[in-house]
Amino acid sequence: MGESLLDVRMLNKAFGTVVTAKDLNFSLYRGVITSIIGPNGAGKSTLINVLTGLLAADSGEIWFQGREVTNEPIHRRVKQGLGRSFQVVNVFGNLTLFENLAIPVLALKGRSKDMIKSIARLKEVGEHVEMVLTQVGLLDKAYMVARSLSHGDLRLLEVAIALAAKPRLLFLDEPTAGMNPVERSRILETIRQLSQTGEVTFVIVEHDMDIVFSLSDRVIALHKGKIIGDGSPEQIKMNPQVREVYLGEEVA
Amino acid sequence: MNQYWKYFLMLGCLGALVGIGFVSGPFVLYLATRIMILSIFALGYNLLLGRTGLLSFGHAAFFATGAYGLAITSIHISAHPLLGILIGVAAAALLSLCIGFFCVRHTEIYFAMLTLAFGMMVFALIWNLRSITGGDDGLYGISRTAISLGIVKIPIRNDYQFYFFVLFFFMVSVFLINRIYSSPFGLVLAGIRENHIRAEFSGLSVKAYRLGVFTVSGAFAGLAGSLSALLESNVAPFSAHWTHSAEPVLVSLIGGLQTFSGPVVGSVIFVALREVLQRFTYNWMLWFGVLLLAIIIGFRGGVVGSISEAFRRYSRP
Repeated sequence: MGESLLDVRMLNKAFGTVVTAKDLNFSLYRGVITSIIGPNGAGKSTLINVLTGLLAADSGEIWFQGREVTNEPIHRRVKQGLGRSFQVVNVFGNLTLFENLAIPVLALKGRSKDMIKSIARLKEVGEHVEMVLTQVGLLDKAYMVARSLSHGDLRLLEVAIALAAKPRLLFLDEPTAGMNPVERSRILETIRQLSQTGEVTFVIVEHDMDIVFSLSDRVIALHKGKIIGDGSPEQIKMNPQVREVYLGEEVA
Repeated sequence: MNQYWKYFLMLGCLGALVGIGFVSGPFVLYLATRIMILSIFALGYNLLLGRTGLLSFGHAAFFATGAYGLAITSIHISAHPLLGILIGVAAAALLSLCIGFFCVRHTEIYFAMLTLAFGMMVFALIWNLRSITGGDDGLYGISRTAISLGIVKIPIRNDYQFYFFVLFFFMVSVFLINRIYSSPFGLVLAGIRENHIRAEFSGLSVKAYRLGVFTVSGAFAGLAGSLSALLESNVAPFSAHWTHSAEPVLVSLIGGLQTFSGPVVGSVIFVALREVLQRFTYNWMLWFGVLLLAIIIGFRGGVVGSISEAFRRYSRP
């Protein structure tokens, strides 16, 4: 399957008696678009939260590019190339789109501590921001305030902020929820392109099975904190356990 | 508002300030000096409150550290005002770095209460260390000796000379804080205010930036404190009291938290209003409160904020 990017060993996470990750072991590989599926409450979002550092694991290890990151704070994981977007729109509401993207770009380029120089003079930052805005098709709205955007545009911005930090591995939590078909195909096209060039490896949590099966190379099915299916989309469609707990009528 | 207007306004204000220095009487001069000192205090403070979204109730401690730093230097080491200011600002920055280290781990009300607690500790220290700080008497007899820069000596003894001395520091502060607002650091602070989790996921250590801005605002509070020690030629322990910490909060609120010039406009209103009210009524605090309430409720986003909003709407129908 190629070079492994992220390795999870014996990962556990529970909230009281609700188990959201039980002895999880898996690896994610460079260039392989992976989808994580499962019914509501299967532990998909919690898993992303633990892997990206928003929640601490109860036990187990997380290794990213050969380094253990289990106890690293969020910003260090991001610096190493572990990014994410959020299920609920989570942007810098009162800032312009340009500023929204400039924040991760400044962090990426190591210019964020400068107190004297004006941002307008940092050409490399401006160019990078414009590149990402072009990628997601929001360049003409660069100087609009984020909270004045439509819901679909906000979703695009949500993904764009994550992309601007130049992640190696990017978790997208329901990236297309609430998008219209045009926006949806644009975001899927961007994902395919970036994945093909090998720049970014995507891991997607998605409810829309059309997207899951058309986009991903590999599907991991979760149920009650355990992996009940892991393989190509075809294998998952055929997996009896997955069909029973989740896919049910949808594929039948 | 476009750039030209902004520079035009700034030049106008500068012209007015220089004019005051030449033509006004001693009372207006004294008030203008106090307004500039309060502006420096509040401009630095608003980096924390308006820009980063952190409410501190402990900044009087840093103001007092600057004041006592200058006073102690002036009495025991050297009366050179620049050395005193340097030591005052450095001491305030160091103290805010230490206090900030513990406070920035928390946000909102917990942050506010921690800064309040630390501020009260500093007040208690100043009150009790009588041999160093003079206890409840404070320190007095701080002289405004001439600034000697090698061969040149600039006198600041009389009020007009001192006015221009403070004006110089006011301009430097406005320039520096204006730079911070348009710098990457300033944008990161706004990002932390808007969404600190997303800032963390942008690859930024939110705690480090909070500590950074806390220290910067503490340093400006220290500068304001040491200038006020020179103005009054004494320092009093109540400058460290938490009630004094409310001043930059009120001033920023009056002027507008989300504006750069808000704290300056707020300082003008605050000082002028208090002086006028004290002339007319014995119950000035009551009327002061009523008027502040009216301003804060009446001008949403502060005086500067609501006026520039109206201006924007008017120019783009």
